Amino acid sequence: MSHETWQEQLRRGSLDLAILLTVSSGPRYGLAIIQHLEAFTDLVVTEGTIYPILGRLTREGLLEATWVEGEAPHPRKYYRLTKAGAARLAHMTREWRAFTSKIDRLIDAARGHDHAAH
Amino acid sequence: MQLTETGESRVNGYLYVLERSLKTFLPRDVVRDAVREIESHLRERIAAADAAPGEREAIERILAELGPPLRVAQAYSAERTIDEAVATGRFVPVVRAIWHLAVSTVVGFFTAIGLLVGYLIGIASIAVAVIKPFFPENAGIQFVHGVPVGFAAQFPVPEGTDLRGGYWVIPIALGFGFGVLVLTQRCARRYLAWWRERRLS
Repeated sequence: MSHETWQEQLRRGSLDLAILLTVSSGPRYGLAIIQHLEAFTDLVVTEGTIYPILGRLTREGLLEATWVEGEAPHPRKYYRLTKAGAARLAHMTREWRAFTSKIDRLIDAARGHDHAAH
Repeated sequence: MQLTETGESRVNGYLYVLERSLKTFLPRDVVRDAVREIESHLRERIAAADAAPGEREAIERILAELGPPLRVAQAYSAERTIDEAVATGRFVPVVRAIWHLAVSTVVGFFTAIGLLVGYLIGIASIAVAVIKPFFPENAGIQFVHGVPVGFAAQFPVPEGTDLRGGYWVIPIALGFGFGVLVLTQRCARRYLAWWRERRLS
């Protein structure tokens, strides 16, 4: 697997979690979600591909979507976390933390081994 | 930034291509909602954009960040059609998802050919069973130079080809045809589920 492929898989694998985290603090519309992700991460490569993911998360019942008119010159589609979404987010966050701490331990162990070898 | 007529045409052109591409794979209400959402995104971006150095550059930059309409449509249809096919397992969504992957990936193209062969063999076997009562001499098990090659119906029967079997061929052809269809459908679902997992991982 090339480095780019690995990075792409890592990015894709964490996008669902990143989107759920973004809407966990309150409802946001598509562009606001993208801007939030762009401000904190480099996960958004093509803005247009975020919307299909929002659609899938909505179909899976993790997000709830509502069109709001009158707030801006153009209608905005707001996404909010459902109860199922909050439960999934809690689970994903635990999994993520456990996973990254294991990898961190591995990295530390490898570095310790390198230092000992030198 | 306020759009001129030219700028408006460029935005509408983008949305038109997006809508046309989405219509190939998705139901009308889903297409309408998706285009409305992308238009909302574009209008918002344009309203906040700086018109310097020029409107054209600003619009092209916004559209480039959003992604080419075909790519956006592909992402929408991949999410939607494959999810629906895996979740329901129904024939039409599965075929639609297979078609989608066939036109967008090389692996999907060759897999689709394999699955198409499976579906065709199943349908042809069932057709032989249906034709047999009406044209008993033209439908049956095909032997070419004495070697059985499968169920067939031919009009007229060519030289060197022999169609054998009485009416007992009907239940065998039906069983074989449905068996192949079910097996092909299972393979298609398994392939789509694998694709979905791969995409999510």
